[in-house]
Amino acid sequence: MNQQSTSLIQLSHISKTFPLAAGSFQALKDIDLEISKGQLVAITGKSGSGKSTLLNIMSGIDKPTAGNVLINGIRVDKLTESELAAWRGKNIGVVFQFFQLLPTLTILENVMLPMDFCNSYPRKERRDRALALLSLVDIKDQASKLPSALSGGQQQRAAIARALANDPPVLIADEPTGNLDSHTGAAIMELFAGLVKAGKTVIIVTHEKDFAGYFGSTVSLLDGAIVH
Amino acid sequence: MKTRYRKVVRDLTHDYSKNLLLVLAITIGIWGIGSILGGYGVIKREMRDNYMGTVPASATIELEDSISVSLIDSVKQLPGIKEAERHATVLARMKVGDRWNPLLLFVIDDFATKRTNKINHISGAVTPAEGTMLAERTAYMVMNAKEGDELIIKAPHGEPKKIKLTGTVQDAGLAPAWQEQTGYGYITLSTLHWLGEPQSFDQLRILVTGNQHSAQYITNKATVIANWLKTNGHPIHEIQVPPPGKHPHQSQMNAVMTIFIIFAFMILVLGAILVAESMATLMVKQVRQIGIMKTIGAGSFQIIRLYGLMMLIICVLALLIGIPLSQLTATAFYKQIAGLLNLEINNKDIPFSVPLIQIGSGIIIPLLAAAIPVIRGSRIPVRVALDNYGVSKNRPVAGSWLLKLSRIAGSSEIFMLSIRNIFRQRARLMLTVGLLAAGGAMFMTALNVSEAWNKDLQKIYEQRLFDMEVRLQSAVHADTVVNAIKEIPGVRIAEGWQYASTSFVKENNYEVTRTYPDKGHGSFTLQALPVPTRLLSTTIEEGQWLTATGANDVVLNQSARALSPAVKIGDPVALLVNGHTTLWRVIGFSKDYGMGAGAYVSLNAFTDQLHTTGKINMIKIAYANRSKAYAIQKNKEVESLLERENIAVSASIPVWLLKNAIAGHMKVLVNTLLSMAVMMGIVGILGLMSAMSMSILERTREIGVMRAIGATPNKIRRLIAGEGFLVGLISIFIAFLLSLLLSFYMGRMIGGMAFRTPLSLTLSFPAIIIWVLIIITGAYFATFFPARRANKITTREALAYE
Repeated sequence: MNQQSTSLIQLSHISKTFPLAAGSFQALKDIDLEISKGQLVAITGKSGSGKSTLLNIMSGIDKPTAGNVLINGIRVDKLTESELAAWRGKNIGVVFQFFQLLPTLTILENVMLPMDFCNSYPRKERRDRALALLSLVDIKDQASKLPSALSGGQQQRAAIARALANDPPVLIADEPTGNLDSHTGAAIMELFAGLVKAGKTVIIVTHEKDFAGYFGSTVSLLDGAIVH
Repeated sequence: MKTRYRKVVRDLTHDYSKNLLLVLAITIGIWGIGSILGGYGVIKREMRDNYMGTVPASATIELEDSISVSLIDSVKQLPGIKEAERHATVLARMKVGDRWNPLLLFVIDDFATKRTNKINHISGAVTPAEGTMLAERTAYMVMNAKEGDELIIKAPHGEPKKIKLTGTVQDAGLAPAWQEQTGYGYITLSTLHWLGEPQSFDQLRILVTGNQHSAQYITNKATVIANWLKTNGHPIHEIQVPPPGKHPHQSQMNAVMTIFIIFAFMILVLGAILVAESMATLMVKQVRQIGIMKTIGAGSFQIIRLYGLMMLIICVLALLIGIPLSQLTATAFYKQIAGLLNLEINNKDIPFSVPLIQIGSGIIIPLLAAAIPVIRGSRIPVRVALDNYGVSKNRPVAGSWLLKLSRIAGSSEIFMLSIRNIFRQRARLMLTVGLLAAGGAMFMTALNVSEAWNKDLQKIYEQRLFDMEVRLQSAVHADTVVNAIKEIPGVRIAEGWQYASTSFVKENNYEVTRTYPDKGHGSFTLQALPVPTRLLSTTIEEGQWLTATGANDVVLNQSARALSPAVKIGDPVALLVNGHTTLWRVIGFSKDYGMGAGAYVSLNAFTDQLHTTGKINMIKIAYANRSKAYAIQKNKEVESLLERENIAVSASIPVWLLKNAIAGHMKVLVNTLLSMAVMMGIVGILGLMSAMSMSILERTREIGVMRAIGATPNKIRRLIAGEGFLVGLISIFIAFLLSLLLSFYMGRMIGGMAFRTPLSLTLSFPAIIIWVLIIITGAYFATFFPARRANKITTREALAYE
């Protein structure tokens, strides 16, 4: 991949093994990967190829069994769980396939919550910032509704707004269009493309070939190893 | 408000039914503990204030002759004497309907200036005129009269006379009259003489200076006074030193309250287990949300604070309901106990420490209980939280005991699945079973103890093969009177006995008893009976019963043994009777029900020692029919005969009356135990409901899969109900074993209080059946709503359930 010294994300010799009742399973095998700032990168592969595991390791959601994870100059694999939470809140925005909005909070409150946890903006500014982000993803008019009142596409937009709440340099999305129709999926991809133009680095796990045109580069995985 | 706190509030209101369950569980605990501690606090204070307010005499010295005013004045001058008064107590009888019942007459020297054992004037006359009487407020019930009425009473040596009840008093030093089944009257000496009783003041009540809380110190002082009196020509009959500063029922009340407090804390602990379980349910639902919050930057400590706050709000809500509720029940509780102890509640304030304890325990215990699931939930790695499917992925492996158990021949698929499902979350299973078992154990214990109580109360009848005990004013020749009674149709057996108040002879040769002024509490009685007797079937615990007619053998009951614990079989003992020392050899120890300290000796040996051969002062009679109605009828005939024969009766005590009196002492305890048992049952069922809800919630997706492959709603319902029943069944078995242990200890405590011997270990079969029914019904309702919810979700929703 990109070999420039300005790499935002550097993965070196990453392996991940899961212990199972029937024996261990190696999900990632000696992965080396570098991603530069401002890229829209796709991670593709069949089910079980290790793409979600790779994404989890990049976002600090999971730790590698071996290897180093360097993101924005920080050895993420060395951080403790609580350090990881604080770091992730400020540096990584995560978007899930099933949106994962908190059901008892309104859309606006869902977007304000990361700022509250990370204490990243003054309290008085959080509401305006959240509304601005909802405006950016085009659902400002849904701000006071609960997630259950929104369509899948709207919920994913809200999830993207939440991921942007603390203005992280990196957005990581695990099959963000997997639960949406093609039209809505395309709109979400447009949104990501716009974010990349604004300077964000976006890494998306997907196996939808229709959106290949959006990606600056693609990482293909097969049985835990990069094949392309 | 911070966004995270809004989540707390929304989560609380969103899942309000589950959270209400939590509030309810904690409220029950707070309520239980507040009711008991609040009631106890008031009673403890008021019992002390009421009793000490009467200025109880340190000691009462009973003289063989009467006490003059000049003698009182001389005693007052003696060193170490703060106060001295003269007094008399006469056991008379009163006519209630067509029955003669016991009436304790307190003869008071000067009502206006009484300085020891004071009585509180309530209404009517302060000092009764000659021929009139004041009544203790609790006595009207047993007198079947009211202030202003006339009552026929009979002093031991007098004729029946009508006496007017001109006033009402409260005597905080006495147990309620209805409890003792005895009337209490207050008269002047002139009235006593008007009643035909020649007796004068024979009791010297003294208040000592110095250490008034030491029985030994008071006994020493009283002995000095007794020696002085004896030297000055006034023979001493007995010295009574009741436990200083202690109400006659103080120790019983402390023991009863200890049991209540233990139960109340158990309810709180059960509530806490329920909280832990419900909080675990909550955390199961929140695991994925915790994963999301951690993904967007929340640290473990922030998560702990979030759910800790949620728990705190629940606790505060429970306190807001539980504290006022407990104050209401505490008030009802202390009023009930005050009635039982004849106390006047002058200060109704519940001690300030009670709500503080409620706040402390109502917050700390639930928070501690919730801490484990909350901390565990907050520490779940993000990936595990996001991947959470609820139920552990560890399945029982083939060949394990569980698989074998679930494959019992002929068992249905539903049974197989149910049994495997309940063991999937073993920690939770243990918690639920523990909760139900604890509730069940206490429920069964309460009923076991209640049944044991009734059974042992019945032993009052079984040991006493007589139906009526007649105490005579003075000894009479046995043959004539006993034979005459035997002639009454329906009288099966009549025996002449002797009885006397007694005490172990101490160095100073005075009888020193722990008897209270009511002459009942703390007394020690010697009974001399014909050997062999056909009217007593006492239980011999050690040694043997009386067999030799003329031998100086004695059998001591458990209460008498407690007065001299060093005494062994074969030991000689000296018992003081009417100022004479009698000598005996201990041959056995018996276990009596419904009797204070007692010693049994042969009538022949007794009369030989006291030179009263052929005389008796007590008649025991057995009727052909033991029913109360028959006994009442026959008692009247016996009393008429004695009246015709001109034999003065000091008291006639039907056995049913005795049983009622003892039953009255413990009624509140047994009833309160039962009501607490019901509370335990409720908490147990709430626990099962919570566990079943959690179990179903976790398996929503799995249930979707089962429905997708053809399970009908009915099968799903049966599966869930089967799980509930299985958990219930396991708990019943453990509850049963636990209840045996608890019943043993509880029976020891209650039996010790009432009979000075443990209650018989009794298994109440109705208790087991009722608990099994509660569990079955409870399991049905506990699983009904979760099952309905599981069936309401469409298969598609269930499969997509996150």
